[in-house]
Amino acid sequence: MSGYRKYFTKKILWFAVTFIVAVLLNFILPRLMPGDPVAVIVSKNAQGMSESTAVIEMYKQYAEEFGVNDPMIVQFFTYFKNALRGDFGVSFSQYPRKVSNIISEAVWWTVGLQLPAIIFGWLIGNILGALAAYLKKGFDKVLMPVSLFLSSIPAFGMAVILLVLFAVKLEIAPTSGGYGFDMIPNFSWSFIRSIISHYQLPFWSIVIYIIGGQALGMRSMSIYELNADYVKYSRFLGIKDKKIVSYVFRNAMLPQITGLALSLGVMIGGALVAEIIFSYPGLGTTLLAAITMADYPLLSATTLIITMMVLITTFAIDFVYGVVDPRVKAAQIDS
Amino acid sequence: MRNTILEVRDLRTKYITRFREDIYAVDGVSLKIEEGKSLGVAGESGCGKSTLALSLMGYYFPPLHYTSGDIIVNGRNITALDPDTTRKNVLGKEVAYIPQAAMNALNPTRRIIKFIQDVIKAHIPEMSKQEVRELATERFRILGLPEKVLDQYAVELSGGMKQRTVIAISTILSPKVLIADEPSSALDVTSQKMVIKMLRDLMEKGYIKSMIFITHELPLLYNVTDDIMVMYAGQIVERGSAKDMVFDPKHPYSKGLMGSIIVPEPGTRELELVAIPGTPPNLKNPPKGCRFAPRCKYAEDECLLHEIKMKTFGEGREYRCKFSIDYLTEKYNNGKS
Ligand SMILES: Nc1ncnc2c1ncn2[C@@H]1O[C@H](COP(=O)(O)OP(=O)(O)OP(=O)(O)O)[C@@H](O)[C@H]1O
Ligand SMILES: [Mg+2]
Repeated sequence: MSGYRKYFTKKILWFAVTFIVAVLLNFILPRLMPGDPVAVIVSKNAQGMSESTAVIEMYKQYAEEFGVNDPMIVQFFTYFKNALRGDFGVSFSQYPRKVSNIISEAVWWTVGLQLPAIIFGWLIGNILGALAAYLKKGFDKVLMPVSLFLSSIPAFGMAVILLVLFAVKLEIAPTSGGYGFDMIPNFSWSFIRSIISHYQLPFWSIVIYIIGGQALGMRSMSIYELNADYVKYSRFLGIKDKKIVSYVFRNAMLPQITGLALSLGVMIGGALVAEIIFSYPGLGTTLLAAITMADYPLLSATTLIITMMVLITTFAIDFVYGVVDPRVKAAQIDS
Repeated sequence: MRNTILEVRDLRTKYITRFREDIYAVDGVSLKIEEGKSLGVAGESGCGKSTLALSLMGYYFPPLHYTSGDIIVNGRNITALDPDTTRKNVLGKEVAYIPQAAMNALNPTRRIIKFIQDVIKAHIPEMSKQEVRELATERFRILGLPEKVLDQYAVELSGGMKQRTVIAISTILSPKVLIADEPSSALDVTSQKMVIKMLRDLMEKGYIKSMIFITHELPLLYNVTDDIMVMYAGQIVERGSAKDMVFDPKHPYSKGLMGSIIVPEPGTRELELVAIPGTPPNLKNPPKGCRFAPRCKYAEDECLLHEIKMKTFGEGREYRCKFSIDYLTEKYNNGKS
């Protein structure tokens, strides 16, 4: 048990270190981008102004407000202190909206889209992979190449294919947005319907993208488990096949959980791309907007939130995994 | 006369490979074991020992297939049963099995007690979990296994402990025949001794009525089983009491096999370590006559022509060779001087 505790103490330490490094990188990287965001905002707001002193005055005022005149190190500590309180400052591009407001709105779109899509894709992929291993023959012969094909298409590729096929050619789904652009969010039936129809393409593009890889992984795990010694031994003890199959799939499924944890970062990355392609109002689209507008505060906060989401889920899965799989627990104690 | 617990008549099984080739790994094996007796099976790697163990269970799944022959357990021919009846009424209950790779024989993600519950439920569904636990606790205690093992996972057990747990699980339903396929070969000497002692205990306490012990370590067999059978290329080539077989083997293959080991008995000089030259035949198409002939230094052309039947001699001894016992004995004596 103490080995187990040591393992998680170590994990938590790593978690803390990763977190600090992530905050640091999230702060520095956007600021290395070329361009003067204050100038961009000033030029936007100063349109029509002719007096240069007024414009300069305005520039100074903004620079003061955003704190860009302070030395980098001071800026960082201010940023870090505020970030811990959930305050990420004011957005440059959507001035004077607060970054935290923008993010808290976008994050629900992202979670609402990605969480169900990733879990659903993971489940279906695993079921298909298990079936292919168990049924073999025709089913496997079809599933294998299809999964290989699907898993080798990049995330954006699937999104673009669906977009062109269903939105542009067949016109049975909207091309972009989270709901009809002419609508105001409310609880009416037509608004909900609009949300659902806008949900389909990004959702399925993520699901299909995930299914391929997961099915391949689960298939080979299951084949491996089906040939394990304990399967043969259980058979010769007279245990029913149904029970043995349940052993096999449980044992094959468990490592797939790590697969899920490991690929979560990649998945979220891929899913963000899907958001961008469909202009879905989540973090992906926010991130893209922040990049194009050189909006440091928004950019830092968005990447930080995404990093945090990946970190926390990975950590949680690692923990759950050790609890449900004695093999992993033994390995965790050993390490 | 004692009760015959297991009788096997001319059993033939084969592997059908992915390339649709037949491999006759058990080719006409007959044997008999009486109540309270144990039989050792020895032979080189690949001669079909493990396949024989599996074939004796009467329950076949690809790539292993039943061809012909009878397996009679306690008067009932189990080859005539349908697979589900065999599964429910024979496996684990009448004939039990300890696999060669007992290290990985346990489901790594299931607690031992849960696994035992699964085993018992497959045969005696009416038995409650409480009763299963009592039975398992009692059995583990008698066999000298710590009770806490029941609540552990296989990954938490040492190799020796895993092996002994497997033995306890295999025999939990007190089977008539226990087939142990190299139950101690992967273990250190101390664990080996414990395993052997455990198997003896099982016999003495009447939890198992007879045992087949497969190994390639002959000295070990001498101390464990009553009789020894030597197997070559899917067939039995000689059978006799453990003592006769170790000290007075008759078949040239047995002779070679015994000669290739060191018998640690007081009074006997250490024998030279001599391996039998050549390799066992490919079981896809074994030699037509004597299968050992291509490697036998006494072989004559005629050996390869006709199939050779088992012949009896002395007290309960059998061998499969064209030559007479006297002829062979003379050859062996000449070879020594
Ligand atoms: N699953 C299988 N498919 C095809 N052929 C097999 C299979 N298992 C074993 N064989 C073949 O059957 C023959 C007998 O193998 P078996 O495992 O019974 O030998 P063994 O005497 O137990 O050897 P060892 O001492 O190495 O355990 C060998 O020629 C082997 O190649
Ligand atoms: Mg073997």
